[in-house]
Amino acid sequence: MNRPAPPDRQLGLWFTIAAGLVAMTVWSGVSIGFSISELVCNAPGGSRLLRESWPPDFAFLPRLIGPFLETVQIALIGTVVGAVIAIPVAVLAARPVSPNWLTWILDRNFMNILRTLPDLFWAMLFATAVGFGPLAGALALSVFSVAVISKLFSESVEAIDLNLTEAVRASGGSWLQMIGLGALPQVWPQYAAYVLYAFELNVRGSMVLGLVGAGGIGMILETQRANFEYERVAMIILAVLVVVLLIEQFSIALRRRLT
Amino acid sequence: MPANADSHDAMIRFRGAGVTYPNGVVGLEDVSLDIRRGEFVVIVGSSGAGKSTFLRTINGLTPLSAGSIEVAGQPVPRKQGRELRQLRARIGMVFQDFRLVRRVSVLNNVLIGRVARVAGWRSVLNLWPRADVELAFGALERVGIVDKAYTRAGQLSGGQQQRVGIARALAQEPEVILADEPVASLDPVTCHQVMEDLLRINRELGITTLVNLHFLDLARRYGQRIIGLQQGRLVFDGAGSDVTDADFQRIYGRRPEEDDFLQEARA
Repeated sequence: MNRPAPPDRQLGLWFTIAAGLVAMTVWSGVSIGFSISELVCNAPGGSRLLRESWPPDFAFLPRLIGPFLETVQIALIGTVVGAVIAIPVAVLAARPVSPNWLTWILDRNFMNILRTLPDLFWAMLFATAVGFGPLAGALALSVFSVAVISKLFSESVEAIDLNLTEAVRASGGSWLQMIGLGALPQVWPQYAAYVLYAFELNVRGSMVLGLVGAGGIGMILETQRANFEYERVAMIILAVLVVVLLIEQFSIALRRRLT
Repeated sequence: MPANADSHDAMIRFRGAGVTYPNGVVGLEDVSLDIRRGEFVVIVGSSGAGKSTFLRTINGLTPLSAGSIEVAGQPVPRKQGRELRQLRARIGMVFQDFRLVRRVSVLNNVLIGRVARVAGWRSVLNLWPRADVELAFGALERVGIVDKAYTRAGQLSGGQQQRVGIARALAQEPEVILADEPVASLDPVTCHQVMEDLLRINRELGITTLVNLHFLDLARRYGQRIIGLQQGRLVFDGAGSDVTDADFQRIYGRRPEEDDFLQEARA
């Protein structure tokens, strides 16, 4: 038998792709004024900032507890509200159990729109409606949670064992009973894991939203930075690091036990 | 051969029933027969002969494309909806693969048999009325595994899971039980236990029972009446005790082989 000729290596194609990537990077770098030399020249400014940030102002720590609680509270409300709304949104967007084609297509697009818009956009939107503050932050994170949880959860619902839903239908069950008794019990562990994951994201999101006025630790960070209180800024960053790590580890441990 | 067509006690009545699937495959063709109230019927045929289709048309899981089926004098509705759900409530179904929610307790699985009689929101929130829980326990007692009521269904053995499946059907207080290859996933000993359960329930409660079976010896042993299907057509209908090897050859279109028996050597 003849050995086959080696396939064409398509060098031309690879060269074109590489050249295109390089050209795009250079164009972007020049446009935003990215330059290594400038980075090196400004290094002393950066090191001065670091020196002024040291040591972190530990005396400031007690005054952070209240804002931290507020940040976690905003994240918690956002997660809970979002997690509840995400259930019907996810179910209606899961093709095998969605009641009809129109509902499915409408809900899928609704989910896509939610996901496309960033949480900062929702914060701005709710801030114009209810004013800047924790409420606007919690509402923004609710929408964000719906987007995150419904996307992940509807994929889980799509992968369920449909034979079980048929067993419920064979007993004379309605659509609601087919979902509630046949479909959802199969995927509650995944749901709980997604809710915890959304909570992790929301704690971080809630801090960023604080920067634009939604309250909590982010807002304190922004005021201290504006007042050049770098030792306090360092303290806040250190505390944020610890809190985020703790919450993440807690959540990861819980999720591991769920699945 | 078929039961008396004019009799008032015809529980299920097939008249020219046919099913052609969307892909063109014929699942059932021009089947006409009556099944009397309280009968224990075994349906045999090789795989693909239309046994499942036959059972699934009775509770409307597979819609007919020709003819009609009546259950207790009422035609099986062709469309989804309240009428079909109410009919299904009167027909319990037992599956080859049990179809239990493995993560959920045995009791909650059996309560699924009560869905049609309990308000949707109550059932979904697990707020089952006391009387329905009582019925579910009664069903579990009847199949002898009430001690497992609070065990997760997935932790039970295959035979136990199938009993839960039967209990779920019983919890419906059905007039008919359809069992689609209920023993195909079980070992020989458990196989007989489950068949005995079905037969006992049929005798004690007078529930009309239709069982799909693959094994010839099981069919002959348990089938008071045997219906043979081949390529969707009715090719045999008679008493189990009368079935000869020649009849089986007609049903299967070939001589019976070792694979067609559960265990005992052919007499």
